[in-house]
Amino acid sequence: MSESAFWNEDWMKIQQSYWENWTNMSRKAMGMEPPKSPLENAMDHWWQAVSPSASDLSRDFMGKMMEQTKSYFRLAEGYFSNAQDSNNWLDAANRTVADMQSLFSNSLEGVYNGTEFAGDDAMHKMMAFWEMPMDNWQRMVSSLSLMPGDLLRNIPHQDGLERFLSAPGLGYMREEEGQYKKLTHAVVNYQRNLGEYMKFFSSLGLLAANRMKEKVQEVAESGQQIDSARGLYDLWVSSSEEVYGEQVMTPEYAKIHGSLVNSLMKLKQRLGHVVDETLGGLNMPTRRELRTLQDRLQESRREAKAMRAEIELLKEQMIELRSMATTQPKPAVEEVTAKPKATAKKRATPKKKAAIKKAQPKADAS
Amino acid sequence: MQPFNMRPDQLAEEMLDYSRKLGKGVENLLNADKIDAGVTPKVEVYREDKLRLYRYESPADVVQSSVPTLIVYALVNRPYMTDLQENRSTVRNLLAAGQDVYLVDWGYPDEADRALTMDDYINGYLDRCVDVIRKRHKLDKINLLGICQGGAFSLCYTSMHPDKVKNLVTMVTPVDFKTPDNMLSAWVQHMDIDLLIDTLGNVPGELLNWTFLSLKPFSLTGQKYLSMVDVLEDEDKLKNFLRMEKWIFDSPDQAGETFRQFTKDFYQQNGFLEGGVKIGDRQVDLKNITCPVLNIYAEQDHLVPPDASRALRDLTGSKDYTELSFPGGHIGIYVSGKAQKEVPPAIGKWLDERTK
Repeated sequence: MSESAFWNEDWMKIQQSYWENWTNMSRKAMGMEPPKSPLENAMDHWWQAVSPSASDLSRDFMGKMMEQTKSYFRLAEGYFSNAQDSNNWLDAANRTVADMQSLFSNSLEGVYNGTEFAGDDAMHKMMAFWEMPMDNWQRMVSSLSLMPGDLLRNIPHQDGLERFLSAPGLGYMREEEGQYKKLTHAVVNYQRNLGEYMKFFSSLGLLAANRMKEKVQEVAESGQQIDSARGLYDLWVSSSEEVYGEQVMTPEYAKIHGSLVNSLMKLKQRLGHVVDETLGGLNMPTRRELRTLQDRLQESRREAKAMRAEIELLKEQMIELRSMATTQPKPAVEEVTAKPKATAKKRATPKKKAAIKKAQPKADAS
Repeated sequence: MQPFNMRPDQLAEEMLDYSRKLGKGVENLLNADKIDAGVTPKVEVYREDKLRLYRYESPADVVQSSVPTLIVYALVNRPYMTDLQENRSTVRNLLAAGQDVYLVDWGYPDEADRALTMDDYINGYLDRCVDVIRKRHKLDKINLLGICQGGAFSLCYTSMHPDKVKNLVTMVTPVDFKTPDNMLSAWVQHMDIDLLIDTLGNVPGELLNWTFLSLKPFSLTGQKYLSMVDVLEDEDKLKNFLRMEKWIFDSPDQAGETFRQFTKDFYQQNGFLEGGVKIGDRQVDLKNITCPVLNIYAEQDHLVPPDASRALRDLTGSKDYTELSFPGGHIGIYVSGKAQKEVPPAIGKWLDERTK
């Protein structure tokens, strides 16, 4: 069986059969307990089969899409589980938003207690949607460091540790000890700022849930209807994006963002010092030395380029002068024959000048 | 009225349809390993370090303008955005409008380029490119077309070398860096840029990607992948999507010293408005720009808000200032079909009127 045939026929048959069964079950299940996360099971199963044969580009790409697909249907699943217990849409919507709010509160507490919510229900996973800015940050940090991005996320920061770190070092190793204390201090500081950043986003989730509720109300008042999971998902995205856009423009966020980036840079700088110390000890070139060389080299190249440009300009001027000289009208024949005389005159000129110069003092004296 | 009209069977049908598209389209995705960009034939006419200067080949049946136009792209992302594919190419449409088009490709700086300054880029590389073109065409002045950060560079260049620029076109160019709706500017105010550059050396492309995705994290990192499923079955549309995806994440690192000055002087000090920008030993004063200026901005630009671009109108010394707005976003102005029909021909017409 060719790979192509598998994708075009067999896989589709399996999918068709799976979804038809699920549809039948869902129909029967009106008022009964719905199948638990069928979409997610199907997607996971499918993705496990597909991903090994995908190229790096496709795998990364499809992985992102799988996550979004799950969020997309989880939202509808969350609403359905509430709608089954209520005949009133408003009540179901309110309960859905209340679930969202509760989960955001839990995850907020989890950030500080180091016990992030471990539930696996559809609604909680949908809430992970709001970890996307955080996830982006972690990916970026990972790309800048040998450490995984979330290594520092759950380290508790303690006042006692900071107090210990601020104590002066003693004895022969005090300088080295000082370096490591500064490094640990930078870790604690970064972790604190990361916590502030996460706290900020956790509170935004609550606001987004409320905005979603308002938007649902607007839809009801306008006489329109949301008739697909995708429609519901798009409403959630626009609610989240709106709230996010408003909040990240506040002075409070600008400070949190600045502190997060600055504390990460301080941490990286301290790590750089430690690495440089080690490299120096091994008699190897350090980053600091390389940068000094880069600066000096660039300065030399700048000067060399400027000089080259000047030489080019001078060459051009010379060519211009030569061409001007060659294009001047040729002297008349008589003048050519008179040239030796002219030369003689020229030769005489310096003497004349000298004579004048010499004569001047006399004139002055008189 | 009940705002929801979703039944489990409808939801299942939606999921089935989604799976069907995914299943049929995945073959296209798995085969789409090579994404081409940059379609118009071009010739390299000058190179220096990692910089390349290209001249695009004009169609045989088009009469070229006597004054060439140099496109100055940003250091951020890659210039093939201007020539993404045959039916989405600003370059191709400028050529069709009779312009003789050159483009600066800055390349991918690495750690050895960390010490390149704005002076090196603008009074060095860019000035030498302009001189090469002037010499090739035996002209005193040529046209500049600056895009985004490249527009800011073009403004700086024209203010310092007004004798070499005949007409200046700026596209989605930030001028007022502190408009109330400028997210990037708001975020950078509390960042210690010296600490950032002293620590990182160059600014990694990943950091820039994170910053740009953070402007609209839910749409840009999630929603768009769901939309992709709708085009998965169509090989051409999928390739278009992947081409954009490639461009978005194809982010060169930024030379540290240039990033330091650009961010401090413009994003933090708002130098075009407040003054005080010095590049090398020259002051940047937009009043020195007296040539005709065409300023093009996108009405839904989330990176360079319209007000950030429109601020240029009162700042130059030009008596011939024109604005052109386009109903689209920062990228849409280069890739949307509507933009391609309207913007390059308008640039061509504006330049022709000032070249004769």
